[in-house]
Amino acid sequence: MINYKGVSIVRKKVTILENINLSLNAGDFAYLTGNVGSGKSSLLKTIYAEIPVETGTAKVAGYSLNDIERNEIPYLRRKLGIIFQDYRLLNDRNIYDNLKFVLEAAEISDRKEIRNRISEVISKVNLEGRENKMPYELSGGEQQRAGIARAIVNNPQIILADEPTGNLDPDSYYSIMEILVKLAKAGTCVLIATHNQELIEKYPGINYHIENKTLRLI
Amino acid sequence: MSNTTWRVRSAYFTSVVSITLVLLMIGITSLLIINAHKLSDYAKSNIGFTVFLKENVRPIEIDRLEKTLSIAKYSKSAKFVSKEEASSKLINELGEDFIELMGYNPLPNSIEILLKPEYTQEDSINSIRREILKNKSVDEFFYQKSLVLAINENVKKLSLIGIIFTILFLFISVALINNTVRLSIFSKRFLIQTAQLVGASDKFIRKPFVIKSIISGILSASFASLAVTGIVLILKSDFKNIITVEGIWQIVSITFIFGITITGISGSRAVSQFLKTDSDKLQLEE
Ligand SMILES: Nc1ncnc2c1ncn2[C@@H]1O[C@H](COP(=O)(O)OP(=O)(O)OP(=O)(O)O)[C@@H](O)[C@H]1O
Ligand SMILES: [Mg+2]
Repeated sequence: MINYKGVSIVRKKVTILENINLSLNAGDFAYLTGNVGSGKSSLLKTIYAEIPVETGTAKVAGYSLNDIERNEIPYLRRKLGIIFQDYRLLNDRNIYDNLKFVLEAAEISDRKEIRNRISEVISKVNLEGRENKMPYELSGGEQQRAGIARAIVNNPQIILADEPTGNLDPDSYYSIMEILVKLAKAGTCVLIATHNQELIEKYPGINYHIENKTLRLI
Repeated sequence: MSNTTWRVRSAYFTSVVSITLVLLMIGITSLLIINAHKLSDYAKSNIGFTVFLKENVRPIEIDRLEKTLSIAKYSKSAKFVSKEEASSKLINELGEDFIELMGYNPLPNSIEILLKPEYTQEDSINSIRREILKNKSVDEFFYQKSLVLAINENVKKLSLIGIIFTILFLFISVALINNTVRLSIFSKRFLIQTAQLVGASDKFIRKPFVIKSIISGILSASFASLAVTGIVLILKSDFKNIITVEGIWQIVSITFIFGITITGISGSRAVSQFLKTDSDKLQLEE
């Protein structure tokens, strides 16, 4: 699913990660840990092709990130579900339409299917009754859960989560983690960037750690 | 209605108003252009010439000549002026009875011709002159050369100024509308970026923005057309023959074509621009 060999990540001429190797398969449940500013988000951004990969070879969901064309990027991203550190909901429409947007963008036009998939994920993240709220009318934690719903609504092959539990109280994040674990068991590749040590103890998985600009497995 | 929705609506309203104003100016400009030839025809409507006849020409010949001249392709009207009419007109103008002074009437019979606007150029007048002088009854051909030159010169100058202004104006209009549309899309630049991140293609993202821009174009064009129609209706009674309702459909079409194409293209280009700007630059833009 994700295969990085000898990849270096450079932002504005500053090397953030050097010569890293990363290999994840379908059904893997993995963590990406490291200090603040160590480059966790940057690594995730290369996976969804927001930062280009210039050195080493990188493959994600069948796409080579070294020479991916601009017009192929949307297709790569439709295979990914991304949970952003800062939620990134579309602020001009309600939660329901946020989810609908992802499905329509992925060229799913069957209204009934759209409705069913949305109500399914809405109940998975416990946002029933909030579908018609605008993102700014929700609490941070609720927005976080809406972001998670959006990430999983299109049945992605890979889920990338950047601090998915940052704004959640323990009860909420346990339920979110249960969802992610279940998805991994069903064959989705899940990669979670986090500082939350407690999370890792409670839901064990593969652990990639960033230290001194390098990535190692612990 | 929540506070935010209100602000969004009022921003949309503002952009529709400014596009309307620009389209209204385009409408008025086209009104002037469409009616410009009427204006120049009007300016040329007094250009003509006088044919002086020989002394001994018989009335029947005069009659025939007058008929020929009045149906000639270049003539708008031809009117016989007898030597008596000519002299009494001149006496009126001079305020002095020169016939009594001279003992006879020195003025000849004549025919006054007014030209159609398309024959008022100097060279067409000259060729008309050559033809008319062939006629045995004609003694002399007279026209006010300086007046003809001056009128033609001024019409030419004014047309040129009109064209330059129109072109300048088009540029300004396109720039103004482009800016208005861009500004309204600018506020959604982060939305565009997020849409990209969740797998939407450029085309899919662009579509609703282009549709919305075009709708604002159509709305604005409708308001502008109404206003131009109103202006025409008010002015047509004061400027008979110069401003008429005939051209109104052309003006309305021009306004709509302009409104739709400029807003559509501007909308599409603005979105494309934000689609291609990387996220760091997007943060910096103001
Ligand atoms: N847009 C950018 N341009 C240049 N450098 C950047 C940019 N964004 C982040 N960086 C730098 O890259 C490094 C890694 O940042 P990144 O956001 O990947 O860290 P992180 O591990 O996700 O941190 P956190 O735990 O706080 O989310 C930091 O040193 C940061 O200063
Ligand atoms: Mg981060």
